Amino acid sequence: MNPIDDDTLQAYVDGELDAASAARIDVALVHDEVLARRVRQARAVRAQLHAAFDPVLDEPVPARLSALLQPRSMQAAIPATPLVMPAGRHGTGTPRRRTARRWFVPGAALAASVALLAVALWWWLPGGDLVRMQGGQPFAAGALNRALDRVLASEPDADAPVAIGLSFRGNDGRICRTFVLRSPPAQAGLACHESAGWALPVLGAAPPPEGGELRQAASALPPAVQAAVDARLHGNVFDARQERAARDAGWR
Amino acid sequence: MNSSDAVREGLIPLLPRLRRLARALAGQAADADDLVQIVLERALARAAQWRPDAALDKWVFAIARNAWRDELRARGRSQHLFAPEEAGEMAADRASAQPAQQLELAMALAALPPDHREVVALVLVEGMSYGEAAELLEVPVGTVTSRLARARATLQAHLGKDA
Repeated sequence: MNPIDDDTLQAYVDGELDAASAARIDVALVHDEVLARRVRQARAVRAQLHAAFDPVLDEPVPARLSALLQPRSMQAAIPATPLVMPAGRHGTGTPRRRTARRWFVPGAALAASVALLAVALWWWLPGGDLVRMQGGQPFAAGALNRALDRVLASEPDADAPVAIGLSFRGNDGRICRTFVLRSPPAQAGLACHESAGWALPVLGAAPPPEGGELRQAASALPPAVQAAVDARLHGNVFDARQERAARDAGWR
Repeated sequence: MNSSDAVREGLIPLLPRLRRLARALAGQAADADDLVQIVLERALARAAQWRPDAALDKWVFAIARNAWRDELRARGRSQHLFAPEEAGEMAADRASAQPAQQLELAMALAALPPDHREVVALVLVEGMSYGEAAELLEVPVGTVTSRLARARATLQAHLGKDA
């Protein structure tokens, strides 16, 4: 039998071969372990791609997209896109319609954004989004957002998926909190409160806990997160009373 | 029903697949949804060009691919989302096998040349046949096959040795 070339093997895996050619490979697979392995590897790429991208099918479609497909008569009542404030310090204070912005990032910047996507994806996988992107920046979502809003380090909840560490008012006036995700792989980060929610300026892998137990969240910070804390911290971290008062004031 | 309404209604059930395709092409979720927004706006503006005997999904996927290519051309210059040191922080260690493998794959996909990435997105993610992808891309089937083979080899190298 002729050796099976890569194009033919790929066509077999992708269901592109006619029945006779496919049957020939079916037969060869029975006794050709090398061929079987090549088929497995080619299938694995496809399977992993589906595992990576099919969850998008089950995500809720953002309202700004579905709103574009509303009948015209209804569009008057529904903004085509959500209203957001212009980005940060350049803002005029006037809400504007969000428009499709830059989204192509070449080269190294692409790798960087993909690395972020990688971290974000990872967090999304175990169920429920913990990170959402807004204006190209990551923000806390879902259980992480709820924990940052509600959980007090002085009243730790061992069952919560997120452990809160330090809370403090940063040198730009925003309140920041460190956190560690308990479910492996442990991720730690710094969240700073702003009008759009909890921005996540730093995310990183948490050091593995010692002795099989999760240590105090604040002591388990990766160096990048610790450095970000050090850069922002002026004054003291909140004590239990200040932390509660900050929560009651909506972290403003 | 005029063609605009037909396209509008027909696109609603296609949104999840369109978002998945855009994610495979553009990478980041926010970028992908920006691309989807561009595609929807174009599709609605060109609704009169859609012939009801043509499959709406292939028509809109072609718009998506072309919009992505247009953006690649228009935004060819370097734009930095994150400072390099920040990028280092983002690139967290990877501990467990399964998600790590997917992340490797997503990064490898993002690093593919556009010719390869679009074939992977259309055939391996969206599930088009080689012939359908060739028609959409306006290239011979053999070109789709060879691009896919090379892309696959690259991606495969990022999976485990015996995946």
